[in-house]
Amino acid sequence: MERTRQIIFGCIAASLALVPAAIAQTTVRKAPTAADWAALAKLPDFTGVWEVGLGGGGGGRAAAGRAAAPADAAAGGRGDAAAKGGRAGAPAGGGRAGRGGGGPSLTPAYAAKAQARVANPAEDAQAANCLPPGLPAIMNQPYPMEILMTPGKVTIVIEAYTQVRHIYTDGRPLPTDPDPLFYGTSVGHWEDDTLVVETVGLAQVPRGLTFPYSDKMKIVERFRLTGPDSLTIETTAIDPEAFTAPYSMGTRNLARHRTWTIAEYICEENNRNFIDDKGNAGTKLSNPLSSAK
Amino acid sequence: MKNDMTAIVRRTILLVSLVAGGTSLALAHHSYSAFDMAGQRVITGTIKKMDWTNPHTWIWVDVANEQGVVETWGIEGMSPNYLERRGWSRNTIKVGDKLSITFHPLKNGDKGGSFQSAQRPNGEVLGMTPPISEK
Repeated sequence: MERTRQIIFGCIAASLALVPAAIAQTTVRKAPTAADWAALAKLPDFTGVWEVGLGGGGGGRAAAGRAAAPADAAAGGRGDAAAKGGRAGAPAGGGRAGRGGGGPSLTPAYAAKAQARVANPAEDAQAANCLPPGLPAIMNQPYPMEILMTPGKVTIVIEAYTQVRHIYTDGRPLPTDPDPLFYGTSVGHWEDDTLVVETVGLAQVPRGLTFPYSDKMKIVERFRLTGPDSLTIETTAIDPEAFTAPYSMGTRNLARHRTWTIAEYICEENNRNFIDDKGNAGTKLSNPLSSAK
Repeated sequence: MKNDMTAIVRRTILLVSLVAGGTSLALAHHSYSAFDMAGQRVITGTIKKMDWTNPHTWIWVDVANEQGVVETWGIEGMSPNYLERRGWSRNTIKVGDKLSITFHPLKNGDKGGSFQSAQRPNGEVLGMTPPISEK
C-alpha cells in the first residue's frame, strides 16, 4: 500500500516537472475581495460607453457625436488609396489629432518591405468580408465601445464587429513568446491616473496597419481622463526590428455617452460585398428580400 | 407639428454632418471602391423593402424606367447602430413610402449605389451622415 502511494506521488511529481513553460506562466485568478473592489473604486472611472471623436482637446461632445465626413471627401480622399495600400507608412485607423503622419522611420529591411507594398498593393478582399481590423485600428471605429473595470482586469467591449479586448491589470507579465493575435496579449498598470496598456503578439492582420512591422512590435496605449466625460488614448508603436525609433500614432479623444448602450453588430447579417476573381470588391444586389429583417 | 419638428431635426442632422465635413473617421466595414463616389444620380420611386441590418442598411426602391418598366434599385446606407444614435429608427423609411434618393452609383452600372440623401414629396430631407471612408 505504501509502495503504491509512493508510485502515485512519484508520477504526480514527474508530471509536474513536465508542465510546459506556457502553462507554468499561467496566472491563477483569485476571487476578488471587498478590499479589491474598494481599491478599484479609488481609481479613475473609465467605465461606460465611449465614442471616438474628432481631434483637439478633450473630445468635444457635439463633434464626437457626428464625426464623419461627407461622402465625397471621405471616399475620394482616403478610401481607395488606403485600401489599395497607396499610402504606405500611414496608419490605418484614420487621421487623428496629433498624428504627424508619414508613418514610422523604418529600418532598411522594412523600408524595402514598404516599397514592395506600394509596388504590389493589397486588394480589397479583407475589407469586403467583414474581417475586423486588428489593434490599434479597432480602437478607431465609427461605433462606440464600453470599458468595464473589475479587480485585476479592464475589459473593452467594442461594438464594431462585436469584439472584446482583455487587459490584465493583476500584475502578470507580458508573455515572452506570444501567439500572434488580432489584438495581441495586453497587460495594464497604473501610473498615477493613467492606465498604461502594453500589447505584444500582434499578428500581420490583413486590414491592419499600412506599414510593415515585425512580431516584436509592442503597442503602448496611455488612457487618461481629461474631463468628466472625456478620455484620451495616446498610442505609441515600438518595434526594435522594424522601426528606428518609437512611433507616436497620436491621440484619440473619446466622449462618454451616459445614455448610450452597446448595440448588436453582426457584420455577416446582410453583408453584400463580395470579391471577384481579381480580388476586387463588388456589391451583390440579388435577392433583395432574402435578408433576415 | 410633430412632422415639422421631425423634419427640422433631420435637416439639422444633415446640416451637422455637412459642417463636420473634412474630417474622416476610420474604417467602415468595406471599401467604397465599388461606387463612383464622384458621380451622383437621383431616382424617384416607392419603397419596396427596408433592410434595417448590419453592416449596412439597404433601401430597396421600385423605380419606373424610361420605358415605364418597374425596376428595383438597392441603395446602401449607414448601419442601424449609427443611424439610431442620430435620430433614425427602423420605421423612418417604410414600405410604400415615396422617396427621391440621391446616391453615388455603382461603377459597374448595376442598379444600386451608396446613399447620400433622400427627400419625401412634402420636402422633408433625410440625411444619413454620409458614408465613412475606408482606412
